Amino acid sequence: MLNSNTSALGIVFPNSYDALVPDLVNVRLMASIPFASRYRLIDFILSSMAHCDIDNIAVMVNNNYHSLMDHLGSGREWDLVRKNGGLHIFPPFVEKGVKPYVGRVGAVASILGFLRSQKEKYVVMTDTNIVVNFDFNAMIKAHIESGADVTVAYNEQELPESMMKNEDNGLAYYYTLNIEDGRITQIHVNSKKTGIQNMSMNMFVLERELLIDLINTASVRGQVYFERDVLLPQLSKLNIQAYKYDGYVARICDMKSYFEENMKLLDDHNLDALFSSQQIYTKIRDDNPTRYIEGAKVQNVMVADGCVIEGEVEDSILFRGVKVAKGAKVKNCILMQDAVIEAGADIEYLIMDKNVTVSAGKSMKGTDTFPVYIGKHQTV
Amino acid sequence: MAKEMIAMLLAGGQGSRLYALTEKLAKPAVPFGGKYRIIDFPLSNCVNSGIDTVGILTQYQPLVLNEYIGNGQPWDLDRLYGGVHVLPPYQKASGSDWYKGTANAIYQNISFIERYDPQYVIILSGDQICKQDYSDFLKFHKEKNAEFSVAVMEVPWEEASRFGLMVADEDDKITEFQEKPKNPKSNLASMGIYIFNWDILKKYLEEDEADPNSENDFGNNIIPNLLKDSRRMYAYHFDGYWKDVGTISSLWEANMEILDPEHSGINLFDEDWKIYSRNSGMTGHKISAGAVVENSMITDGCRVKGEVKHSILFAGVRVEEGAVVEDAVIMGGTVIKSGAVVKHCIVAENVTIGENAVVGAMPTEEENGVATIGEGVTIGDNAKVGPKAMVRKNVEGGEVEC
Repeated sequence: MLNSNTSALGIVFPNSYDALVPDLVNVRLMASIPFASRYRLIDFILSSMAHCDIDNIAVMVNNNYHSLMDHLGSGREWDLVRKNGGLHIFPPFVEKGVKPYVGRVGAVASILGFLRSQKEKYVVMTDTNIVVNFDFNAMIKAHIESGADVTVAYNEQELPESMMKNEDNGLAYYYTLNIEDGRITQIHVNSKKTGIQNMSMNMFVLERELLIDLINTASVRGQVYFERDVLLPQLSKLNIQAYKYDGYVARICDMKSYFEENMKLLDDHNLDALFSSQQIYTKIRDDNPTRYIEGAKVQNVMVADGCVIEGEVEDSILFRGVKVAKGAKVKNCILMQDAVIEAGADIEYLIMDKNVTVSAGKSMKGTDTFPVYIGKHQTV
Repeated sequence: MAKEMIAMLLAGGQGSRLYALTEKLAKPAVPFGGKYRIIDFPLSNCVNSGIDTVGILTQYQPLVLNEYIGNGQPWDLDRLYGGVHVLPPYQKASGSDWYKGTANAIYQNISFIERYDPQYVIILSGDQICKQDYSDFLKFHKEKNAEFSVAVMEVPWEEASRFGLMVADEDDKITEFQEKPKNPKSNLASMGIYIFNWDILKKYLEEDEADPNSENDFGNNIIPNLLKDSRRMYAYHFDGYWKDVGTISSLWEANMEILDPEHSGINLFDEDWKIYSRNSGMTGHKISAGAVVENSMITDGCRVKGEVKHSILFAGVRVEEGAVVEDAVIMGGTVIKSGAVVKHCIVAENVTIGENAVVGAMPTEEENGVATIGEGVTIGDNAKVGPKAMVRKNVEGGEVEC
């Protein structure tokens, strides 16, 4: 898209819902959680934006963001090295005696100066715990055509159990929508309803000037959450439209959903649904192709480059550089980068973080309802 | 600021002995080893050796190569001063010409080289598979106080007459050069990789250009002239893996050798000497239930439902249910439909092999060869392609091509 009055800048919240996956974010944040054999969660959002010519993106890192900084680098892999715009990583600006912000309001308030000096007419805001190959331009177009003040993307799904359990944890608010003729008439916070709901994807389109205005006011009043404190009280005043998304959505809301959403991609239909529309970019590691040595047995697996497989692997996702030695058995596992499964080891239902080694002959098993997580750099 | 050494990479060769594979691209751009192109090897060697300025001399079908090299970022050769530059022949105020020979290609780019004011220039060839530390080569060149050094490999005496041979004394000083001689006096084959002192190279390039009878070739003209003048010429021994992949069979062989790094000596799993390439960016490959994968290399974007044995699949290859792939090199984006049998062959990019088609065959005493399918070709259902075939055009369903 050439410069036009439909251009948008992106604001990404990489720490949203960290509290739902405490193990995985021990050494990182939601946005840099590895997913689908070679990606990090943020790759899906950044690639989607890049494909929509949203090339001025603010990433509002709050804590544990070293791994994300390392992953993003200059933003080159997403074509975000730009003289005008490009990738901006905003760490929290902490003053003496003032705690870093908690919600979206504080995050955006901290970059109001930046926002005022930008030229894009619209702003797209999103979290990263949602894996989508999303057409932001379609959403912006819908926003313009409906004449909305704010447009909120949602999908129809049952509310994740883990989120409903997490109610007391203020960091994990979720929202369901009542919609009439496309307009949002009610926003429910932490609803307990069962069955299919209109669940907010926490993706928003609005004019940059309006966002500055809303945040300015909310910030002065000491408000925290954009949906609960800004949108909800103004449902009648603002024209807030719902944008239904029918595409493939994977929501990471706990360890179980992380496991399942990875495993779902072993089904070609799901894999094609997520990846076929636009390429998802990620940091390149320059691994060699994966090598299957004589005696390897593999069934129903998704494997990235750089692996060496000599043993048996079934129903599993292998990230880059995983080694499975002779006689080792891997079943229903997610093995992140550079895992080493030594000879004769036997593992099932494990989620192994980066650089984990399972020693020769050892056996370790989780269950389908409770996959066992093993932290970074551990040796079993 | 002067550069100590810059590299000039000869990448203009048509690679006519690769037939169907080089109809639309230059030999250095031919895909290799699952996710690489041949040129990734010399380029990665340069970067790993600390050379950050590379001129790539192109002439034949440069489009794919130009696009592939781009700004050189995948090899870390996007530099403010130096980096990778593609150098095609260009029009000048007078005397514009195609590159007439390897020496002429460098001669026409003297001004490029002089921008960096190098002490040494290394001449590389874009059609070899080899992991080599050029900084070690330069160290040798300096130690010998040489004006010209050439990297040589010891080859079996019975094969020596196929190569350009360097005859050297016990101090590795070159005394004679024999181009594909009937009676070899040496078994030191030139790898076509040279280090020159720039002032010497420039002098000989200019003299060579002034000689109307010259073929403007390093092997045929420059090296004999250096010898005639008794220049300080030395042979640098290299004993690692090296393969000229100029023919279909050597290209196939080199691909198969990377499947067996323990014996062949070419190991791509080398953290200390990575080979860089422009990545496909596809998602991890998938191997379905019921598939068989043995002794193979598979990269991003592949989907395997059939049987793959002792083969290399490039990015995005699909092997459907019931298809059999064995001893084969299958380049990117190719689809092998169900029931097809693909053996002992090279299949170029974006080929479709129809249901139950047969391509190639395991070698027998009567018949052996590496069947080759050119880029974008469709082999119809139930068609048969013999082991000696070189297919450039679509083969209709049920037809036989030998």
